Amino acid sequence: MANIAAQRIKREFKEVIKSEEVAKCAIRLELIGDSFTELRGEIGGPPDTPYEGGLFVLEIKIPETYPFNPPKVRFVTKIWHPNISSVTGAICLDILKDQWAAAMTLRTVLLSLQALMASPEPDDPQDAVVAKQFKENEEMFRLTARYWTSEYAGGPNENQDFQRKVQRLIDMGIESDRACVALSAYNWDLERATEQLFS
Amino acid sequence: METTNAPGPSKSGKDGEEKEENPLFECNICLDTAKDAVVSMCGHLFCWPCLHQWLETRPTRQLCPVCKAAIGKDKVIPLYGRGSNQQEDPRNKVPPRPAGQRSEPETNSGFPGFGFGDGGFHMSFGIGAFPFGFITSTFNPHDQRPSQAARGLPNEDEFISKMFLYVAITFIIWLLLA
Repeated sequence: MANIAAQRIKREFKEVIKSEEVAKCAIRLELIGDSFTELRGEIGGPPDTPYEGGLFVLEIKIPETYPFNPPKVRFVTKIWHPNISSVTGAICLDILKDQWAAAMTLRTVLLSLQALMASPEPDDPQDAVVAKQFKENEEMFRLTARYWTSEYAGGPNENQDFQRKVQRLIDMGIESDRACVALSAYNWDLERATEQLFS
Repeated sequence: METTNAPGPSKSGKDGEEKEENPLFECNICLDTAKDAVVSMCGHLFCWPCLHQWLETRPTRQLCPVCKAAIGKDKVIPLYGRGSNQQEDPRNKVPPRPAGQRSEPETNSGFPGFGFGDGGFHMSFGIGAFPFGFITSTFNPHDQRPSQAARGLPNEDEFISKMFLYVAITFIIWLLLA
């Protein structure tokens, strides 16, 4: 790897370690291996959002041309968000694409992602199903996103109804993740989700 | 840059002393103390090699990496500290820029002067060099005396010069398109 990339990561790593966001447990960064090409990021769900209380893990890959090109970032933790694929975790965020600037750091990327979680952009979606739900039924979106946070990101679970519906599908032999996706996509309409899963 | 940072992998031990260097004078791209420092019109400090590479990466979108203001090679000011050995403009010594590219603007700047002095000649010289002989022979009736003397082959002469005209025209069009 080009020396400048590794050197930058070393310096940024220290920056994140000492920054106060870590003290508040909002963002974390750890190295995977010694090559400085792959890192693991963690973002705490922002307060007053459906993601509150959850811990979201990110996969960060540093290209050789970093910092002249953006890092490749993806959610490992499943998340229900209009700008993040509920299947792959791919993120639609301009600064990770053409709006990247060389002075941005992993710290600013993590903080930007946290800001994205707090304010979704349904008009520039990554996941069309989630974006549609967000626009048509925001309350349903919030409940679903909160359920996903509890299911996958370790957030508190208050929604017994959704849990029961998922359990019903599991009892029918459906895998838990598939059940969750189908119910979420059909606004937790058990009948329609079942229909779709068995059609 | 590479040698000083080679012993750097120690993650926490070096932390304190490095921070005491001068974070105020760190390049905004490599986050190291700026070398061959330049400052943008918007006030942001960079190593010239770093900024140069950034500008090369996005030739169509030349924006300041910090504040996204317009930026460019001509819009940065080199900084010369007292400690620097040579007061050479850092913009003149970036490795990626080939020497041939530097000589180009010199010939360009010389050419207009030459053309200016010679007025009309320059015009026909630049464009007409190729079909020059043909144009004089076709459009200048006085030059046709030789062919008039040899009346036997006027058609062949004309044919050949027309051939050359077409060749010249195709060549010029090709030049313009290329």
